[in-house]
Amino acid sequence: MSRSNKLFGDKAFDLLKELERSSQTIPAFDDDGVRQVLEEIKAIFEENVAQASTYNASGDRSLWPLLNFRHAALQRNKRCLLAYLYERCKRIKALRWEFGPIIPGDIKQSLCEPEVHFFNNYSKSLAAYMCSAGYNQGLPIDLTNNLRPPKSLYIEVRCMEDYGKFELDDGEVIHLKKNSQHYLPRAQVESLVRQGILHHIA
Amino acid sequence: MFVQDLRNDFYRQLVGKRILIVVNYDIDAICASRILQALFKYDHMLYTVVPIMGVTGLKRAYGEHQGDVKYVLLVNCGGCVDIVELLQPAEDVIFFICDSHRPLDVCNIYSDRQVCILGDPSLEESIPAFESIFYDSEGEDEDDDDGDVGSDQEQQNNDSGAGESDQEDRAPAAQRTTKMSRLERHEQRILKQRARRQWELERDRIMFEYTQFSYYGRSAALLVFELAWKLSKDNMDLLWWAIVGITEQLLLGKIESGAYTLELEQIQSHVSRLTNKTNDQNTMSASKISFENDLHLVLYRHWPVTESMRYSRYASCQLKLWTLRGEKRLHELLLEMGLPLVHARQTYGAMDLVLRKEFYSMVERLAEKYDIPDIVYGTFTLSYGYRSRYAAADYVYALLSIMESVKKHKTPEDCFLEASDALSRQHKQLLTAGIEQAKLLHAAIFRQVQSSLEARQVHSAGSFFYYVLQEEHAFFSYPYALALLARFLLRGHVATSRARQAPDLPLIASCPLDAAQGMCLLVGIAPVREDSPRTFFGKAFEQAAQKSGVALLQDFFEPAVVQLRQSDLTRFLDALTVLLT
Repeated sequence: MSRSNKLFGDKAFDLLKELERSSQTIPAFDDDGVRQVLEEIKAIFEENVAQASTYNASGDRSLWPLLNFRHAALQRNKRCLLAYLYERCKRIKALRWEFGPIIPGDIKQSLCEPEVHFFNNYSKSLAAYMCSAGYNQGLPIDLTNNLRPPKSLYIEVRCMEDYGKFELDDGEVIHLKKNSQHYLPRAQVESLVRQGILHHIA
Repeated sequence: MFVQDLRNDFYRQLVGKRILIVVNYDIDAICASRILQALFKYDHMLYTVVPIMGVTGLKRAYGEHQGDVKYVLLVNCGGCVDIVELLQPAEDVIFFICDSHRPLDVCNIYSDRQVCILGDPSLEESIPAFESIFYDSEGEDEDDDDGDVGSDQEQQNNDSGAGESDQEDRAPAAQRTTKMSRLERHEQRILKQRARRQWELERDRIMFEYTQFSYYGRSAALLVFELAWKLSKDNMDLLWWAIVGITEQLLLGKIESGAYTLELEQIQSHVSRLTNKTNDQNTMSASKISFENDLHLVLYRHWPVTESMRYSRYASCQLKLWTLRGEKRLHELLLEMGLPLVHARQTYGAMDLVLRKEFYSMVERLAEKYDIPDIVYGTFTLSYGYRSRYAAADYVYALLSIMESVKKHKTPEDCFLEASDALSRQHKQLLTAGIEQAKLLHAAIFRQVQSSLEARQVHSAGSFFYYVLQEEHAFFSYPYALALLARFLLRGHVATSRARQAPDLPLIASCPLDAAQGMCLLVGIAPVREDSPRTFFGKAFEQAAQKSGVALLQDFFEPAVVQLRQSDLTRFLDALTVLLT
């Protein structure tokens, strides 16, 4: 019944596969793919509307399975699209936990406008929650600090590049130079570890 | 200053402080630093580990951290140089030195606060007394002014006549000794100066005697392990690292075999104590250290037996395995052992289980007959899991070759850290790679020895042999590999040489280091017959360089390893010949 040799729903499925396969944290928003799926949905819907009216008029039962099939295809496309958006939203949320309230430039490029909006909203509500959670102590708690419960207060790190001097909270100044090994408080160097300047030795 | 009570005077002092650990490039130092790191981790002490190579490295590393740290721990470096003089530290910086190089610098020994040497002074040999080497300038009334000035200037004063110096001293002297006549004072001055000169001569003699020979003290890793033991924080891993540290000393000839045997006994008691303490019954996870007699064959657990025999210095040189006759003799030996060639030529691990079990006893039985009695030595093996079983020597060879596997994309520091990682059991693949690398190194050494001996490239200069590699070499441009090569070569040469005094002569080997800069590396190897690790090369190199006017870079902490310009090499060797005859 389809006009091309492609089946209904293929494009939507490709969209998901693409997202699943990409090695980046978030691949660029596939504008084109989404539009094509939407067009497909629209085409199916229009065909269905046309046939439904003839069915209403003629009462031809032979059209019935076709109608159902088209409807199922339409539903599936919709589900795929939603899954695509939902998965991206999940990744954007993870982004907030990993990188903090500011989206890195290269990732920002691959987000579309509503997604950026979503990120900002999410960030805002998370910040609001963190403020309220720490209300008793009078200080907001930074929940993003320890994503995995730390085993020890201190960690052993190896310096991967020349960073220069780094001052700890207690005033100790530490000279971070490539290929030196240090034993430092976890809380204070975690951000450096995440930036890749220090490497945590297990 | 010596610190004997490591627990109270060293460790307790440091608890809660931040410390900079400076580690030399050798395996003993790596092991010691790993043990220290483990200790510091238990007590949550912040530390920074910096690997360094040579005196310039030490200066640079200290310069970078200057002002930030108050406690510096030097592992296997810095004991033989005057630390305060070299680094010019601030008043409140304290250095702890854990160094196996000897002789220690006298300024470090007699520093009253800033430099603390970890170790027992009673184990040290013939440290000159304080009075005999340091001039007590306060005791001098008259010479107060020029007491601190160098002796050269003083002698000049002396030569140019007393009149001049007298005038300088007139003002203060006049106040004090108005009663004494001019002549008397003059006489007294001269007497004093003569006594002073005699004292200086005596001091130079004492200092020469003290610094003449360089040798090695106790392994730093072992020293630190004993600290861990006294703190009751020792475990199997730490003990194993200490064993690797002392095995390095044995394999690189830094320790007499007698001293090694004595240490073995102590280690054995640690082993049995810790084995009883850990009640980990699970074979997979438990590590077990066991003492056993083993063979001086390189990596034989990871290599075919024939290869291992051929590439081991001792066996190879005794049987002259690089010759056709030697090869025949090896086959004879295998035949008599009842080890089929099929098995001898495949990896040890794949050999028949029965043969594997009997291998040691078979070799031991025939050792006397084939003139390889010293092939048996006591050592420790570490086994964990079902398959992993390593002798301490395997670790040492693997780490050595990791440490010297510098390539374009791998800096020496990378290699150091990799070697340090390979020590821990979690990074088994690093160790395995290191063992493979070590095999390549030993095969290369053997081939080099074979071709050099066939081409008769070891020359005699009367009082020593010398061997000059003409081209930069992927393996031998590093101190330890070159030293291994030179030791093999010397043994091989002595085995083939007919000269009677050959076993008493040392070998000096050189290899270009960096073709672009025209530098080359020079190592001195003690004679074959010498068992003690004492060498005179440090001092001899220094004097030969002085005499020939060659710029010598004694940057390494190993005194027998120096760098110099390639173009100066012949001149230097000539001067050395003159000096040593």
